[in-house]
Amino acid sequence: MANTATALRAPTVAPIRPASARTALVKRTFRDARVRTIAFAYVFAIYSWLQPAGYRKTYPTLADRIAFAHSFAGNDAIRLFYGYPYDVMTVGGYAAWRVGGTLALAAAIFGVLAAVRALRAEEEAGRTELVLAGAVSRRTAFRSAMAAIGTGTALLWLAAFLGFVVGRLPVAGSAYLALAIVAVIPPFVGIGAVMCQLAPTRRGALALSIGAVMVFWLLRVVADTWGSGAWLRWATPLGWAEELGPFTGTHAVPLLLFVAATVPLLWAAERIGATRDVGAGIFAEHDTAPPRLGLLGSPSAQALRTERGTLASWLLGVSVFAAIFGMIATSISAAGISENLQKQVAKLGTGSIFTPIGYLSFVFIVFILAVCLFVCGQVAAARTAESDQQLETLLAHPVSRTRWLAGRYVIALLGAAVLSLLAGLLTWAGAASQGVHISLPRMLEAGANCLPVAILFLGIAGLAYAVVPRASAAISYVLVTASFLWYIVGALLGLPRWLVDATPFVHVGLVPVQAFRTTDAIVMAAAGLVAAGASLAVFRRRDLLGS
Amino acid sequence: MTEHDALTPAILTTGLTKRYGSTLALSNLDLAVAPGEVYGYLGPNGAGKTTTIRLLLGLHRPTAGSAHLFGLDAWADPVTAHRRVAYVAGEPFLWPSLTAAETFEFLASVHGGADTAYRSELVDRFELDTSKKIRALSKGNRQKVQLVAALATRADLLLLDEPTAGLDPLMEMVFRECVQEAKRRGQTVFLSSHILSEVEALCDRVGILRQGCLVEEGTLTQLRHLSALTVEATFEGPAPALPDLPGVHAERIGANALRFEVHGPVRPLVNALAQYPIATLTSREPSLEEIFLHHYDGTNARHDSTNEHHRG
Repeated sequence: MANTATALRAPTVAPIRPASARTALVKRTFRDARVRTIAFAYVFAIYSWLQPAGYRKTYPTLADRIAFAHSFAGNDAIRLFYGYPYDVMTVGGYAAWRVGGTLALAAAIFGVLAAVRALRAEEEAGRTELVLAGAVSRRTAFRSAMAAIGTGTALLWLAAFLGFVVGRLPVAGSAYLALAIVAVIPPFVGIGAVMCQLAPTRRGALALSIGAVMVFWLLRVVADTWGSGAWLRWATPLGWAEELGPFTGTHAVPLLLFVAATVPLLWAAERIGATRDVGAGIFAEHDTAPPRLGLLGSPSAQALRTERGTLASWLLGVSVFAAIFGMIATSISAAGISENLQKQVAKLGTGSIFTPIGYLSFVFIVFILAVCLFVCGQVAAARTAESDQQLETLLAHPVSRTRWLAGRYVIALLGAAVLSLLAGLLTWAGAASQGVHISLPRMLEAGANCLPVAILFLGIAGLAYAVVPRASAAISYVLVTASFLWYIVGALLGLPRWLVDATPFVHVGLVPVQAFRTTDAIVMAAAGLVAAGASLAVFRRRDLLGS
Repeated sequence: MTEHDALTPAILTTGLTKRYGSTLALSNLDLAVAPGEVYGYLGPNGAGKTTTIRLLLGLHRPTAGSAHLFGLDAWADPVTAHRRVAYVAGEPFLWPSLTAAETFEFLASVHGGADTAYRSELVDRFELDTSKKIRALSKGNRQKVQLVAALATRADLLLLDEPTAGLDPLMEMVFRECVQEAKRRGQTVFLSSHILSEVEALCDRVGILRQGCLVEEGTLTQLRHLSALTVEATFEGPAPALPDLPGVHAERIGANALRFEVHGPVRPLVNALAQYPIATLTSREPSLEEIFLHHYDGTNARHDSTNEHHRG
């Protein structure tokens, strides 16, 4: 009897608990994003610590701070980078201004990257289909992805908070400032999530999302630099972060704006995602096309063809910002700036930035950074061709590995050269349109001045790619960003010369105010070329590596 | 083909070994494929088939040993070697934003030319819509794009890694015709496959790989000889009890029927059976599937084959 009962009993299958599926999905998404999350957290923590520390060191007395407030910080051209300075006479206010403005933009980029990676990239790779084939609803999948991004956001908050606390800012204020920074993430996750519903590819969703970040940043730039446009600050989440007023008179009301923007965006993304076909987007993709045979003659030509959208976006972005920087240069004036302060700023190596030409020399650092990031992006694209295994298809043909990689380097270099010269040309054009007299050849020289350090980072990125392909993109981006931050704050901290000199950016002459530093340029370019050469030799000798 | 070419193996590996960390993916592989030969490369998942092909293409570097294609070192001189090679990967890794026609154009220029007339014919035979972008094609159709691009090069050596995965039976037949045409033209084909009927229909010689080792190699006829012959006999009346015969394993499969697995000469069994009233007598050689399963499954595969070799 007992035996029969046992035989008839249904086989024991562990009951499916929705909660365990949700936990598994959240963990999966979080793990997929861990390298990016850690890299951002690292930058958030270091930057948050360095700014208050550097400020104390540079402006020890009230007099220094008053002078600073009335001059440097009051310049429109500086606000363009860091946002509106509410109160830069206290360490907290200064940190809120310098860190808030920069990291809020980084937070926006983190938000869209996280959303696109967790939603559209998964869908494009076919993994979403796999997940939805299980006992998981679309809502659970979507909300799990959002929960994982929420966890990452909390980590970034913690990183920034700890940075401020270690930089000896008050604990409560630090918590609020860190909140003001990461509050930017949710609305941009919302934007990214909606773009993932619209565009059928990861690339498309990313392009739309980054475009949105740029538009909202431009709105903040206009609001902060153009007196009668201050109301525009209410039109961009990056402006709301400023309106929260950390350390300068807390207004928590804008926090509601973040919620009010995020909830409908996420709701819309979830709704659209629930009704459309998995794998498709609202914007139909053209599945058939008449053959266009341009740029198919060689692997390098085809790489250029694949990268042309990316190149166009970079050209557009650099052009817009170069023109804006050029036009805004007239607002610079040296009136009423104390000698002491001028000396402090001169520590950055900029010389006098309180003339239009000095200012343009100073802002060109941004283009130098941009061009370095661009070359890293090109090396990362080469890695993607390998991890997607298209490289295997290619190298089964009579294609030399070294020629293939060298071709990618040439594309990166040519792109960098075009971007650099365009930056020089358009800053000149912008400045000239406002009646600033500045020499075109000198501005083109300023452009060309971006290249030696870009060649150096191309070599470093290439070597990282050859030696540790899987981690190479993260390594090169973090190196460029860390070197840049080190350059910006290293001098302010009053560290020993050799430590400050460790970043390549210190060795870039700020053309046109300074002379082109030929020796440094040759050393950097030569080091870059040697590294690139070494990378070709290493790449020739290693196994191809999938994702 | 020059006289020298006819003597140089299309594929020659000596002691080819590959380790990934602590995993031994391929162990001491000695392989020679003559020009014009169609070689079937069989093995369960993870046996090292794709590793072999990656080493042959110089995509991965041998830990020990070497691989040569037409006398050229696959690792040291891949570009020259690849001029005579076309490759079809098990997974179609192509460029999603290119159409099939654009892919053909690109791969032809990368390879240094293709027979466009033959390519158009192949496009028709494989029923491909070349205006479609790769990302919009199903896996089977992407596989067809790879196959057409590879076949259209008319390369001297075709390296095919499970080329028919995802093809429907009709397209599988088209594929077989194409391989037979290639063979008639004197092209060498290295076919890694799971589909035994495909290998049986196409290949001159077969190698069986298990856990990174080549456990068996030979023509189908040779492989069959290495395995047991199955003989079934029914008797007019109850089946007798036969004396033990060397190399013969008997099994009762009915009241008046016996089955014998014969390793070695069949004559002693025939002589023994001749004394009894036999109603029917059938014998059959092992199918490739049986040989294959025997080698895949048997943990003592090595041991068995050693025994079998004694028959000589």
